[in-house]
Amino acid sequence: MYEEFLEDIAQTNGLRGVNTYLKLIAGIGAILLCLLSTSYIPPLFIASVLSMAILYLARIELRTYGELFIVPFSFAVMSVVVIVLLSGGGEVYWSWNPLPWFSLSITSESINEGFFVFCRVIGGMSGLIFIAVTTPMTDLFVVMKQFRIPEVVLDLAMIIYRSIFMIMEQLKQTYQAQVMRLGYGSFRESIQSFATMCGSVFIASWESGEDLIRAMDARCYSGKFAILGETRPVEFLPVLAVAVFLILSSLVVVISRNITLIGAGP
Amino acid sequence: MHIMEGFLPLYWAVIWWIIALPSLIFGIYQLKKILEADREALPLLGVTGGFIFILSSLKLPSVTGSCSHPTGTGLSAICFGPWITSVICAIVLLFQSLFLAHGGLSVLGANIVSMGIVGPLAGYIVYRALRDTRLNMYLVVFLACALADLFTYFTTSLELALAYPAEVGGIASSFVLFMGIFAVTQVPLAIVEGVVLALVFKYIVQLKPDILLRLKVFPEEKIRAARSEA
Repeated sequence: MYEEFLEDIAQTNGLRGVNTYLKLIAGIGAILLCLLSTSYIPPLFIASVLSMAILYLARIELRTYGELFIVPFSFAVMSVVVIVLLSGGGEVYWSWNPLPWFSLSITSESINEGFFVFCRVIGGMSGLIFIAVTTPMTDLFVVMKQFRIPEVVLDLAMIIYRSIFMIMEQLKQTYQAQVMRLGYGSFRESIQSFATMCGSVFIASWESGEDLIRAMDARCYSGKFAILGETRPVEFLPVLAVAVFLILSSLVVVISRNITLIGAGP
Repeated sequence: MHIMEGFLPLYWAVIWWIIALPSLIFGIYQLKKILEADREALPLLGVTGGFIFILSSLKLPSVTGSCSHPTGTGLSAICFGPWITSVICAIVLLFQSLFLAHGGLSVLGANIVSMGIVGPLAGYIVYRALRDTRLNMYLVVFLACALADLFTYFTTSLELALAYPAEVGGIASSFVLFMGIFAVTQVPLAIVEGVVLALVFKYIVQLKPDILLRLKVFPEEKIRAARSEA
């Protein structure tokens, strides 16, 4: 019914104490290198290094990590099928032309392209998940403030962050109560129950929003939140690790630039 | 429907960011103006953002059996207008990528355009066009929310088609194919979401109509009439 938040994991992961900027540089750097690469090898290299870091350094359970890939996988498979069928070039294995402006074909180039995009999604997702499981949102707020994100946006983001957990709690209770009363027996019933749940939670959260402003007013709220961030020290070993990772990955990008799955180029 | 990290080539990721930025800036400007006028709006906007996030992290009872997520943007567009919704959506999409590993950072711009700008704008236009007609209020909410969802999915398909045009027929035929393959999950989802949000709306009308009156979502007489019917 509802999904587990990575935030809970991020608050207790093994890399919590590492400087936030270092983790962001590693994650975003990995994503950028995946996008810059022209071969399927660098994304796979980046994904395997980051997966090791996520499993062994951040100590995330294999099962939790694997489950995170289910949604991106299904999206990637569906879209890659389209890419394979539409793009062309190279040796033609199969083709079908039902209409003059519409033709489907499977060629060596299209398989190359599809496989490359699929690997890039895996590489990019591993970079994203690396940031998600190692860096809690509370640390990112400090970074956003240093990057001069407009205060209104930051305040809004923090209230959204807070209300997510509040609403979630309410939703869990309502959902359990509905399930116990057989509220999700048939499709019709589940639509009805789901809508009632959303409606009641919307009203409840609206009221808690009003309570929040009253509570903040009572504490001299002036329209600005104070962010009390902890600064994490920059240590030698993590800097070295991130630098080695990014340099190695860039080398892989450069070296493997002409390699494709079928018929490696010159 | 979110595009996943790494799916779009770098230049398309950048282009969608550039397209998304002006309306985000306009949204932030509007947000500032609203907050200057009414300080109490901030927690309410925050709660709406939280609500959209929660709604999109829930699995809808879906017909096709796949896990489908409602977007919830239609309701927000009706309540706060499309531009503020785009700012809320941008924050929610960022949280989604970091809390649930849905979407991504480089493709955030593309996802903001489809889910935060085009979808809500379409829903809002439908709502504004039909608000003062004699059409049933719940039907208007259903249409606005379902169309917001459908347009989100059209835009995502277009984004994918532009990045990966077909060899024969170019962008148009790859657009058709992307739409076709995602229609299986997205069309039933849009209808279910429209029904759910219309029912949510009905629930709010019955229990706490002052929220809707305060936001001037529908004229007072219309809400009063709907309440006396129930």
